[in-house]
Amino acid sequence: MISVQNLGMQLRAGSHLVTILDGITFEVPEKQVVAIVGPSGSGKSTLLGLMAGLDKPTAGTIQLNGFDITALTETQLAHFRREYIGYIFQSFHLIPTLTALENVALPLDLSGEPSAANRAEELLAAVGLQDRQHHYPVQLSGGEQQRVAVARAFACRPRILLADEPTGNLDSGTGQIVIDLLLKLNQDHGSTLVLVTHDSNLAERAGRMITMRDGRLVSDGEIPR
Amino acid sequence: MKNVAVAIKLAWRETRGSWRQFLFFFVCIAIGVGAVVGVGLFAANVEQVILGDARGLLGGDLEIRLSRLLSESGHSVLKSLRNRNIALTHVSELVAMASTEGNSEAKNPQPGSTQLVELKVVGEGYPLYGRVEVQPPKALSSHLTLPQSRCERSPCFGAVVQKSFLISLDVDLGSHIKIGQARFVITGVLLKEPDRVASAFSLGPRVIISRQALVATELVKPGSRIRERYLLRVPASMSLGPLKGELRGRLAKEGVRVSSYRDAQPRIRRFLDQLSTYLGLIGLTALFVGGIGVACTVQGFIKQKLTTIAILKTLGAGAGLIVGMYLLQSLLMGAIGSLVGAGLGVSLQIVLPVLLQGLLPLPLTPQLFLHPLLKGVALGIGTTALFTLWPLLTIRTIPPALVFRRDVEQAPLGHPPMSLFRRLKTDLSRLLRDSRRVGTGLVMGGGLAGLAMWQARSITLGLLFMAAFLTALILLWVAAMLLLHFLTKVSRPRSFVVRQAIGNVQHPGNFTAGMAVSIGVGVMVIVAIALIKTSLLLAIGERIPEDAPAFFFIDIQPDQKVDFERVVQEETRSPTYTLTPVIRSRLASLNGQPIDPEEHKGKRNGWYFTREYVLTALPDLPKDNTIVKGHWWTEGPKGGQALQEEASTPILVSVEVEAARNLGLDIGSTLEFDIQGATLAAKVESTRQVDWSSFSTNFFMILSPGSFQGAPFTYIATANVDPEEEVPLQRALVKVLPNVTAIKVGDILENVARLLRQLSWAIQGIALLCIAGGAVVMTTALSTTRYRRLYEASILKALGGTRRIIVKAFALEFAMVGTLAGVIGVGLASALSWAILYFFLDLPWAFQPGVLGWGLVLTVLLAITVGFLSTFRILGEPPLAVLRQE
Ligand SMILES: Nc1ncnc2c1ncn2[C@@H]1O[C@H](COP(=O)(O)OP(=O)(O)O)[C@@H](O)[C@H]1O
Ligand SMILES: [Mg+2]
Repeated sequence: MISVQNLGMQLRAGSHLVTILDGITFEVPEKQVVAIVGPSGSGKSTLLGLMAGLDKPTAGTIQLNGFDITALTETQLAHFRREYIGYIFQSFHLIPTLTALENVALPLDLSGEPSAANRAEELLAAVGLQDRQHHYPVQLSGGEQQRVAVARAFACRPRILLADEPTGNLDSGTGQIVIDLLLKLNQDHGSTLVLVTHDSNLAERAGRMITMRDGRLVSDGEIPR
Repeated sequence: MKNVAVAIKLAWRETRGSWRQFLFFFVCIAIGVGAVVGVGLFAANVEQVILGDARGLLGGDLEIRLSRLLSESGHSVLKSLRNRNIALTHVSELVAMASTEGNSEAKNPQPGSTQLVELKVVGEGYPLYGRVEVQPPKALSSHLTLPQSRCERSPCFGAVVQKSFLISLDVDLGSHIKIGQARFVITGVLLKEPDRVASAFSLGPRVIISRQALVATELVKPGSRIRERYLLRVPASMSLGPLKGELRGRLAKEGVRVSSYRDAQPRIRRFLDQLSTYLGLIGLTALFVGGIGVACTVQGFIKQKLTTIAILKTLGAGAGLIVGMYLLQSLLMGAIGSLVGAGLGVSLQIVLPVLLQGLLPLPLTPQLFLHPLLKGVALGIGTTALFTLWPLLTIRTIPPALVFRRDVEQAPLGHPPMSLFRRLKTDLSRLLRDSRRVGTGLVMGGGLAGLAMWQARSITLGLLFMAAFLTALILLWVAAMLLLHFLTKVSRPRSFVVRQAIGNVQHPGNFTAGMAVSIGVGVMVIVAIALIKTSLLLAIGERIPEDAPAFFFIDIQPDQKVDFERVVQEETRSPTYTLTPVIRSRLASLNGQPIDPEEHKGKRNGWYFTREYVLTALPDLPKDNTIVKGHWWTEGPKGGQALQEEASTPILVSVEVEAARNLGLDIGSTLEFDIQGATLAAKVESTRQVDWSSFSTNFFMILSPGSFQGAPFTYIATANVDPEEEVPLQRALVKVLPNVTAIKVGDILENVARLLRQLSWAIQGIALLCIAGGAVVMTTALSTTRYRRLYEASILKALGGTRRIIVKAFALEFAMVGTLAGVIGVGLASALSWAILYFFLDLPWAFQPGVLGWGLVLTVLLAITVGFLSTFRILGEPPLAVLRQE
């Protein structure tokens, strides 16, 4: 269960303040799949990042499973993310010095999971990269990198999955494969999924769509199937 | 021409946007230039203030020096000079005991406290050049002679003393002291003495008295130790060379040394010259370490500018233009850094004299000189240019295609698996095939060697320095490469922290080797100095055997022997003492060939020909001596018979083996000694090995017993007494035998140790700048990886990594760099100190786990500290800002 109340974000750009998010309020029940859409620069990435506690909002609160994450300390947040949140970035953000397998195992290593390697192997197999385990990010194509990132996001069986334009850097065919994987794994794990996208096809596969413009929420509704 | 203009314009535009990144570049150069300029200014000051007045230093245009009293005929030679308008003054220097005995007016009279002093007896006209400064300010002569009215119940003479004398005897101006048989009033404190420079090592404080007073002390007896100096002021119209020759000829029988202010190379000058040369080279090391930092910055900078460079190339800019542009930019930075460094060097002028206090004969009032400043700035810019060349070369190989094909900086260990040896080989052959790289390497090496020669003011020393620096660099580099190679071999560690740290250390853009090398060089210099210092101190300490005597007594007259023995027996419970007859002499001839001191001056073994030999005559072979060749008198075929034959046999001599080798003496050679004008002939009967490190009195030349018949000999004595008996014995002896000088072995050794410690502090002060340079290089290298670290830290945080984990990984990484630098630095320091001890000081190298261990630990701590100071800001950045960029 995600509850965002009156969320605001202002940043200082040079001498003046820019409002990036303003009075955002919405709730996402458990296991729902939500798509956030809107033009570039409307504040989608910022909203998603704040939901993962990657920065602090300047106003409002975010509750995840009953915890007010805006009140947590940096270390508490880190532990919280480890346990509850999986995150997928538009530009993959794999650690360049680690192999595919090590990248997937990384969150498990961080939580001190003893069977990290086995679980990482399983996940890599699930995204169809079992024979790419020992390759470094640069040796993988964009689609493959994003599949590794998807596998990494599911490593700790997160209750909440946040994906920021996961197909934004991929061609449509490759993007389709990644999305299929993402939705399938999400179904298997039963996580709540919040998905930022430009792609209307993808948005339609979600159960609900939130639209943003200039840092405000402009519409929020169920998508009829 | 047009190209240059374009390059300047582009360079300016580039600098405008990114000068902030070059902050460390400034600092790297500034520290090195600061060290060089600081030392340079110091040397110039020393030169100016202390050594500028060579006449004052010698005390005259000409100096006639001898170690005995001048004969009547000698005096008449000197007297005749006055007719030629030559001014003359007579100075005597001797070591004596001063005491507060019988002194009721002292501020806090310690009955009979004694103090060893360096007595200087001055005659009329002293000083001929320079000025003696005394507090209260009055003419020296009026300090030394008292008005007759004060000469009834109180002493007749005045004495001017150094401040340290007042302190050690707890007396003050107006107090009474006794030297020999004469009593003195302290009338002044000596502030400056133009012709005494070697205050770094002295037996005691200076006391100046008049010539009449010396007579009253009755200190000068036959054979007592004295240095007689006759100083001459010659009219400007007279040339010194012929006069010098004339005097040498006319005073040939007197055993004199005649020197002019031009050829006088006082020891202090050589010492200070060498000190500034070595300090200067250490400063240059700091500068070159900074150069490594410059190379790292430029390389990191170019990596960031890949796209810019590619775009410039697509727009048609040639590689030459781009290299020129960045070179100009670097030179600009280097010039600014050098100017800042010159300022730093000027402020060092406050620190250096403090560190060297006591080693310098006079307090320095630092003055500014242009030359060291210009030289420092030139060295700084030169170093910048040379160290920039290498990384700038990569510009040539950047393809314009980068504009659309983003090169992967992260290429992880892109090398296919290859054995280390093969990799080195392919790298090397690739390097050698690239003629431009080879050329640049040669230019760099040659240029740096040139700078080193300029700084050392010697081709050999410059080359030696360059060789040592390169060796250190190459060893450090190879060791860093080996470690990195070893780390790729170990299986990937399970622990994330360890893996991340190793990953970072191995990362090609991480400059691990550069960081380790720069810090390692500084560690090497500092630890090497510490090792040499402790080795020397250890050598001094170890060489004093348990049974070393507490005192040496010199100038005991033959008729005082009985008194001496009586006093020692009265004052000590279990007296152990030795009395050895000695006589001072010089070599007059070898195998009938007269010795000309001029011929041996400045030669490698010249010292053996020109030195003063203290002769003794002993019946028994001293302990710690072994016969190498020939026989001791009591042994051999005749078994001592030789001595019984008395008059019929010539005097025999046993020569120390090294002296015999250097003088070219063998068994049966004959030599003649000049003993205060009289000649004594002797035949070499044996050569001896002497253990000089034993603290007994040892001799180069031992004569057969009875050889001193009728000669003006004195006794020297050693005494072993309990510590609490030392002071009473000294006081009793001064009372009974006021002319006998007691020298405390402990004091002398302490003096030497103090000198050594202070010297090493001064050198280490400059060497610290090398470490500072290394630290800045590390910061520089880390700042070039700032973005990568920030990026990785952000991903880690997004995945739930805590700050602690990132801190741990960084700490481990920095610790690895520090360990690498420390181990190699300490290892190289051992090698360097061993070489210096072995080749220059002829001392064994001692394994000192303490120094090495501390060196290592401090290096690791330094690396961790510097690492965190350079990266801590990364830890606090919120990850979103970094990761939302698509
Ligand atoms: N650090 C920042 N400083 C100033 N403005 C920022 C910063 N980060 C983001 N913005 C601005 O916030 C707005 C929202 O950005 P973002 O959340 O990335 O939008 P979206 O993901 O919808 O394209 C943009 O106009 C962007 O320029
Ligand atoms: Mg976005």
